[in-house]
Amino acid sequence: MSALRRSSPESGSHAGSGAFGRFAPMLYRPLASPLHATRAGIAALWALSLMTGALLLYHPLALAALIAAILLAGYGAGVGRELARALRTALIIGLPIVLVNVLVSREGLTVFARLGDLGPFGQGNLTVEALAYGGVIALKVTVLVLITALASLAIDPDALLRICRRLSFRSALTTSLAVRMLPLLAADAQRLAEAQRTRPDGAPRGARARAALLGAVVAGSLDRAMDVAATLEVRGFATAGRAPRQQRPWSRHDLAFLVSAVAVLALALLGRLTGVAAFTSYPLLHVPFGVGLLVLCAALALSVLLPFADRRGIEL
Amino acid sequence: MSNSRQTPRPALALLAPVALAAAFMLTGCGLGAGATPSGVHLLITREFGARTLHSLRAPAVRGQETVMSLLLRNAAVSTRYGGGFVQSIDGHHGGYEGGEPVDWFYYVNGVEASKGAAEVNVHAGDRVWWDLHDWGQTDYIPAVVGSYPEPFLNGIDGRRLPVRVECAEPEGAACRTVAGRLRDAGVPAARALLGPAGVGPESLRVIVGTWSQVHRELGVQSLRGGPAASGVYARVSASGATIELLDDQGRSVRTLGGSAGLLAATRYSGEQPEWIVTGTDPAGVELAAHALDEADLHGRFAVAIAAQSSTPATGPSATATGSSAATTGAVLALPQPDP
Repeated sequence: MSALRRSSPESGSHAGSGAFGRFAPMLYRPLASPLHATRAGIAALWALSLMTGALLLYHPLALAALIAAILLAGYGAGVGRELARALRTALIIGLPIVLVNVLVSREGLTVFARLGDLGPFGQGNLTVEALAYGGVIALKVTVLVLITALASLAIDPDALLRICRRLSFRSALTTSLAVRMLPLLAADAQRLAEAQRTRPDGAPRGARARAALLGAVVAGSLDRAMDVAATLEVRGFATAGRAPRQQRPWSRHDLAFLVSAVAVLALALLGRLTGVAAFTSYPLLHVPFGVGLLVLCAALALSVLLPFADRRGIEL
Repeated sequence: MSNSRQTPRPALALLAPVALAAAFMLTGCGLGAGATPSGVHLLITREFGARTLHSLRAPAVRGQETVMSLLLRNAAVSTRYGGGFVQSIDGHHGGYEGGEPVDWFYYVNGVEASKGAAEVNVHAGDRVWWDLHDWGQTDYIPAVVGSYPEPFLNGIDGRRLPVRVECAEPEGAACRTVAGRLRDAGVPAARALLGPAGVGPESLRVIVGTWSQVHRELGVQSLRGGPAASGVYARVSASGATIELLDDQGRSVRTLGGSAGLLAATRYSGEQPEWIVTGTDPAGVELAAHALDEADLHGRFAVAIAAQSSTPATGPSATATGSSAATTGAVLALPQPDP
């Protein structure tokens, strides 16, 4: 447990520059922002509402408005750089989605290029409709990636787990420990990689080096798991009962993000049910643009961003 | 040495993109929608052609179409598996009807394709036919007669094939009628004595003769096995004296005796389709030969022809009084509707 206490969340964000150099998890840091100041349950609900909105909407403009709003919200929450990194990740995921859909889908009718017979994939007629639909799915994935990143960065996982603790103490404890172990594993990997490089006979390279490192990290994590289990046992966690409800008054940020969540969900439903954000991809592309759509997009963006306008009472 | 390796070769540098572009063009690749095929027909029916949903002599066509894109452009279609499989057309769904499996099948120029509709390009003059039918008896109907004069006129997969009318009696009336009908439809056809001599694998055969004369032909033999073997919902007795007409469940609905004809198409083991013009006797063969008419065959999988006096019609969907056959026989669609 002392090891758990010693490690700060920041240590994980730049851990593992060796064989695990690219492993840089997006972890929660307490910052002065309205989203950070909001209670975890409401912030999670807000994130869930944005995700649902992205799943309900298909119009590319509406999805683009959501993406722009989430990126701005990220800057409002002080995690803009991390969100920009998440955007790059989303693009890496989204591009293959578009390419695969263009190559595989045969439901579109507006051909822009012909690749001839592609065997099991049929005639390689690439259509505008398949391109557009792939793009829409990529936009949806981008929204989901960005929201997940923002939620990971701005919602306190401990506070979330406290909510779960009332429902199932053991599950919450297990999840909590697993989450806490992640930066420790990264730090272990970094330390071991550095030790590996300082060997006098030269460090092993490639897959062999990674396998050795992985083995050492896994063995270490199992050792630590045994220690943690013993510590928890000694401290009487096995007999712990249901956690008491924590009374905390509702803040203006809680209310603002709750209203924002409801508004985003309502607007997405409105756009979907009234056809204001209608989008037909197959067999012929139909992407209507109108004043109603522009109003919807503006309302969506404002609903996401307005809670960030109130900067009072967000001090750490 | 290293300098000489790095020296650009202008000829090669120029030729490579040209060769690439040529290969691109030759393999049917290119930018844009491609050339639009002309004279395309689209027929959409159900129950083996008994009910016509769409019969479009000039369907909307934009550029190089596949069979699937042609359908999507001209009807309300829902698909599955990424657009490769038709689930419904104009609200007529595949699945189960009355406990029997039904699905959409398509034929291009009267020939069932072995590939998915998204894999087959439409060519000029092609007749594309979609039919929703019960495949409880067979899901293999390799060829149908309802797109006549195809596949003789424009061929298969955009390639016109030589047509050979093979008759048991090349100078007989039925043989002359068949050759004449094909000629009238713009199809030059060679007449020959029945038999394997001179038959190329890449030719379309029309076999003409009484059952007893033609039953040893490989394609004709499959008719003995019923729908499961030939895709034809009729069975000729071993003696060739009667023709049993089957419904879509493979049940015998009626039996034609006396002079009766059968006009059907089938395919033997991956060869090109064969058309069979046969009958219980020479008069029956002649009835079948006279049924070789676009109006009589339109939207039919196969037909049986009964002498008018001996066989009354069983229903509006079962018979037709075609331009020529009306004077000599009643054209009965196969499979026959359930009485």
